[in-house]
Amino acid sequence: MKILALSLAMLAPCLAAGPDVGKGRTMGNPAAPMLLELYSDFVCPGCKHLHENVLPAIVRDYVSTGKAYLVFREFPLNIPAHVHARPAAVLAVAAARIGKYQTVSDALFRSQQAWGLSGKVWETVAGVLTPVEQKTVQALARDPGVLAEVQRDVDRGMKIPVSQTPTIMITYKLKQQPWAQFADYGLFRSYIDGLLKK
Amino acid sequence: MVFSKNRIVQIAVVVLRFAMGGAFAYAGYVKLAEPWQLFAANIADYEVVPMWAAKFLAHTFPWFEVLLGALLITGRWFRTSTAATSLLLLVFVGLMVHAKVGGKNINCGCFGSDEPISWKTFVRDGSMLAVSLYLTAMAFRNRRKPA
Repeated sequence: MKILALSLAMLAPCLAAGPDVGKGRTMGNPAAPMLLELYSDFVCPGCKHLHENVLPAIVRDYVSTGKAYLVFREFPLNIPAHVHARPAAVLAVAAARIGKYQTVSDALFRSQQAWGLSGKVWETVAGVLTPVEQKTVQALARDPGVLAEVQRDVDRGMKIPVSQTPTIMITYKLKQQPWAQFADYGLFRSYIDGLLKK
Repeated sequence: MVFSKNRIVQIAVVVLRFAMGGAFAYAGYVKLAEPWQLFAANIADYEVVPMWAAKFLAHTFPWFEVLLGALLITGRWFRTSTAATSLLLLVFVGLMVHAKVGGKNINCGCFGSDEPISWKTFVRDGSMLAVSLYLTAMAFRNRRKPA
């Protein structure tokens, strides 16, 4: 029984991550004891804050150290103000297929306000890709597999349910806890450190 | 067996006191059983107090809820405890309204960390406020009665 429980605990991050996310949208060691799934929307200002100010610290403290495996999940909100969020998510997932997810994410968050209003998502993405990469990403963005990957993330988030973005779903020792408060990284760090000590 | 109206009211007050006291004690217990950071995050999500205050409240408030629950159940300091309960519930409901009007999809933070504000939380906390106001009224009405 103990062995079964131990095996399940070890498998938990892998089971929770599932086979639906390509390597391009993950960071760290898949065998890390903790799984962090970041549900984000490229139009949301809180997600920009997290991406630019908090995520580097999370990566430094937990992902690079092998304590956590980070998975990026798309959660474009279905509201009028976020009409360009889904196309942005599709392009980011398409870019992940050629290993350019982080580059495209950085670009989208950097100029979020501009393309969020103008709708020039592709122009923003194209700006950080070579001509060959642009062609590939454009083709992949029409691939039903990519569209389905985005939808799977949304469905997964709805099941939790993710009530706001950004939300990090923390999976540790078979227990899951959503976390959406990133105003103070110290609070998040204190919670994660407490979990890891258990 | 026939009960007088006064007796029925007395029984109702005791039952409601136990129910409210139990609810408050349970709310405090649930928060104490979870890592304090979860409640601090819930408080911070309302964006009405600074982070240091959210952390302070996360450490202290659950104990206050347990104490309040115990006072309601035992009937000690009845006027103070019912008045404090009503005031707290008024603040809770006010905060939930404030969050909803502000378009925030956040957790209530009432009974544990994973309970988004919804019509259910409004009905529950609204009912608790009504009961608490009734208990407060009864507590103060009894004081005015000559011995």
